[in-house]
Amino acid sequence: MTTTTDTPVTTPAAKTVPVKRPGGRRREGAAWVFLSPWVLGAAVLTLLPMAVSLYLSFTDYDLFNPPHWVGLRNYTQMFTEDPRYWRSVGATLTYVVIAVPLQLGLALVVALGLKSMRRGRGFYRSAFYAPSLLGASMSIALVWRALFNDGGTVDNLLGTGGWVNRPGWALFAVALLTVWQFGAPMVIFLAGLQQIPTELYEAASVDGASRWRQFLSITVPMLSPVIFFNLVLQTIQAFQVFTPAFAVSGGKGGPADSTLFYTLYLYDRGFVASHMGYASAMAWVLLIVIGAVTAVLFRTSRTWVFYASEGDR
Amino acid sequence: MPGNRTRKSWRPRIAAATAVLVSCSLLAGCSGPDGAGGDGGKVVLRYTWWGNPDRAARTQEAVDLFEKKHPRIEVQTSFSGYDAYKQKLATQAAGGDAPDAMQLDYRMIDQYASGGVLLDFAEQRSALDTGEFDAGLLATGKVDGKQYAIPQARGTETVVYDTAQWKKSGVALPREGWTWSEWADAMRELAERTGRPGATDPGQSEDAFEVWLRGRGKSLYTEDRRLGFTVDDLTRWWTFADKLRREGAVSPAEQTTQLDGTVENTPLGRGKAISDSNWDAPSSGFVALVPDGVTLAPMPSGEDGTPGQYFKPSMFMGVAADTGHPKESVQLVDFMLNDPDAAKILGATRGIPVNESLRESIAPGLKDFDKTVYDYQASLEGDLDAPPQAPPSGDSALQTTFQRDYDQVSYERMSPREAAEDYVTEAKAELRS
Repeated sequence: MTTTTDTPVTTPAAKTVPVKRPGGRRREGAAWVFLSPWVLGAAVLTLLPMAVSLYLSFTDYDLFNPPHWVGLRNYTQMFTEDPRYWRSVGATLTYVVIAVPLQLGLALVVALGLKSMRRGRGFYRSAFYAPSLLGASMSIALVWRALFNDGGTVDNLLGTGGWVNRPGWALFAVALLTVWQFGAPMVIFLAGLQQIPTELYEAASVDGASRWRQFLSITVPMLSPVIFFNLVLQTIQAFQVFTPAFAVSGGKGGPADSTLFYTLYLYDRGFVASHMGYASAMAWVLLIVIGAVTAVLFRTSRTWVFYASEGDR
Repeated sequence: MPGNRTRKSWRPRIAAATAVLVSCSLLAGCSGPDGAGGDGGKVVLRYTWWGNPDRAARTQEAVDLFEKKHPRIEVQTSFSGYDAYKQKLATQAAGGDAPDAMQLDYRMIDQYASGGVLLDFAEQRSALDTGEFDAGLLATGKVDGKQYAIPQARGTETVVYDTAQWKKSGVALPREGWTWSEWADAMRELAERTGRPGATDPGQSEDAFEVWLRGRGKSLYTEDRRLGFTVDDLTRWWTFADKLRREGAVSPAEQTTQLDGTVENTPLGRGKAISDSNWDAPSSGFVALVPDGVTLAPMPSGEDGTPGQYFKPSMFMGVAADTGHPKESVQLVDFMLNDPDAAKILGATRGIPVNESLRESIAPGLKDFDKTVYDYQASLEGDLDAPPQAPPSGDSALQTTFQRDYDQVSYERMSPREAAEDYVTEAKAELRS
């Protein structure tokens, strides 16, 4: 979405920059004053910690004693000597592949349902959105754990045993918590759906296109920028999932490391085992991987994301 | 040059704005921890501990009394289960925000003291009386000759069992000097006759492993802070536990994985097993969970009768090195450890007090579970070997690694030997650093 709206707006705006106006300096000064909270915040709360973390990733630092330079040892140890690291990578990738498509699929289906709804849309939209507001909280994650624990509600209803106590199922229970929070992408889908001109559907039905055909040939292509936006956003979030797994597994990533997500292991190395240098190195690898995955998504998007404005050019 | 002039006039304003912003954030950051402002000059201390609700209620009562005796001091308390406490405290300590007074485990002292988190009690000698403490026990809170922590009480491990269920099963009751193989047989019989596992799977517990290991004449760590056992030893222990689990004599993996250091989440606490092994004082939590009460029995010994269990300073109190109120914090420590009224309230909730005159004075007045713990410890007096020295820093992380590696065994994703190799490799790396 950012790509569609930003590009045409910034190009004309950029032209005005070189034009000198009387009082430009004064305006510049005022701008800096108004920006200062943000600039300070970004520098003190984001850039500085990032720089420190990059430095720490080349050290052995136990939080209590001064960091001690070890060069690339954290990185080599991570890739070659730590089986648990690779288990955390495996769990995270599995989770991303399961949770993101399920969540987006559900968000789209519900958005389609809401769009065609005549009455009570406001109520259902709020009702479906509510989990997104609540879901990220620790309390809901704890409720989730109680639901899926052995002897919990789900166990009693379905007799499936406790999901969170079985290595094959625990990850799925956590994914379900994410899928349930489909409200945010749903609202965005709904907005996207309402942008599609109704004439397209009218023309298609005059031509005798079935509903399914209309969905595939009109809705999906017209919605593809929004799908892409949601996909990028949710994928990035999924890579960084922490709270639900932390609460559901009691902070351990169990059972048997099945929900040991990358961030959970990072937390474990940093704050439980006091290897802050190692945790920093892990954080930087995660940053690079998320960057790479996003770049790949952008690259492939050229083949399937359709911008209506392209037709006008 | 109008441009220059405007710039000049802006500069101080920007500086002023920046100064305001920075000082706001500094103020916000500073007023948090010590909280000494606005409360009419009251000193506010933060005191944190781990434990069960029973300990919480009694600690709060003792703290209320402290506040009554020191009207100028307000104590904010917080507690949680051991696992959560350990993580939270490490995070706070790392951020320079350790609570003023804190409960510490034997395993934490080395790390926290060497990291400069703890106050040397010598700096506040006048506020703390250690005259009634056994010198040997007091020394367990020393690192490099400095007193960073004061032992609060002494504890020992125990097999705690559901009295009624065990008696009803007809299986011979635990007796002093029983061996690990007798214990294993009892677990099998219990499972057979009651349909419930006899105990929590001991494989996940580094503490139980230590008792077993000491029964074989070895130890977790050597005096020069290296690993005191081999892959073979650990493989044998995990094979032993693994076999019992497969037979259904001890709790299944789904139960064991829920352990988090609270009695509520143990199989015994959930009514799904007949016994548990735990430290004696926290076992008081079972009283509220097991309807017909629990009994404490000694831990099993080695096959040749060597006792594995020992009396350990069960927990310590320490004060943050950067507390804003060192004197008041140490006063709180002194009160919790030396005040006769506090001792009466606290009883044996953290173990039997180490203050010797208090121990004698409260003994006759002990009731309920406190008396159980006191009698249990008395029954072991003189039978146990000396405690090991405080574990090295890396042990705090290894405790978790131990559970995780055994998880791989109990969910049958690794053989006992593979998991043992994994553990020993990580342990060597931890202890080297």
